[in-house]
Amino acid sequence: MIWRDEYKIGVELVDKQHQELFKRLGNFIQTVRSDKEESVKKKEVEKTLNFMGEYVATHFDAEEALQKKYNYPGFENHHQIHEEFKAEVAEFQQEYRENKFDEDFVMEFSGRLLTWLINHVASTDQDIGEHINSVIENEEETK
Amino acid sequence: MDVKNLNPIIAATDSVFQTMLSVKPEKGKVSIQEDLVTDKEANVIIGMTGDIKGSIVYSFSKDMALKVVEAMSGMEMKELDKFVTSAMGELGNIISGKATTGLAEQDLFCDIAPPQIVTGKNINITSEADKVLMVKFNTELGEFDVGFSIK
Repeated sequence: MIWRDEYKIGVELVDKQHQELFKRLGNFIQTVRSDKEESVKKKEVEKTLNFMGEYVATHFDAEEALQKKYNYPGFENHHQIHEEFKAEVAEFQQEYRENKFDEDFVMEFSGRLLTWLINHVASTDQDIGEHINSVIENEEETK
Repeated sequence: MDVKNLNPIIAATDSVFQTMLSVKPEKGKVSIQEDLVTDKEANVIIGMTGDIKGSIVYSFSKDMALKVVEAMSGMEMKELDKFVTSAMGELGNIISGKATTGLAEQDLFCDIAPPQIVTGKNINITSEADKVLMVKFNTELGEFDVGFSIK
């Protein structure tokens, strides 16, 4: 996946995690789109999917902890978006295990995920950065 | 139907392309058509309900759809496969979601449906609309049209 500096929100931990998430989603997509033999591909898709899914949880937890620490006013709404996304990934993981390997199904899911994640990072998450940085600036001024 | 209803869609298109792709779309001709006919091969249709009933249709050339997905994924795309159309469908969904926020500022409250994808050449997208507002955009990744049909 292509990372752009414009996607940064200005909070180092979050920006680093976003880049790692892009990397893991990129690996998943690359595996989904590879023309390896089906039995090999099935296993690798599951592996990269789980590897990404784990990090989604790690990152969302860390980002939400920061939102709470800085009393981010959009916390509830953002938390809801994260929960819905995690549920969607979990549902896909389950369906994937049951269907084994349905090419169209996996391609559709990963395509949507690509656009969704870029928009979430490049647009939805930007408010968090603005909020945290304004809190830090205010704290420094009152010191 | 009022041309000003098109403004939130134009603004949302502009904003999403700039934020996600660092691409600034240049707005071209706006026209009013009887039907939605397009020569572009990758079409994303977003149904709309509420104060406005109709649909927003994003029509990309095959080449542009491939380039957009390449610019996001960093991987080479050769065909309008499910991965590409699904990624483009989500792009239409995001733009339309943002557009409904803009329409709400005009006191028009609308909901949108999940994207439907239509691919192929010379497509006539039938809708029960009286008229279709069309706006053309030009970008460094290619040209695309956005149609807004209101019933």
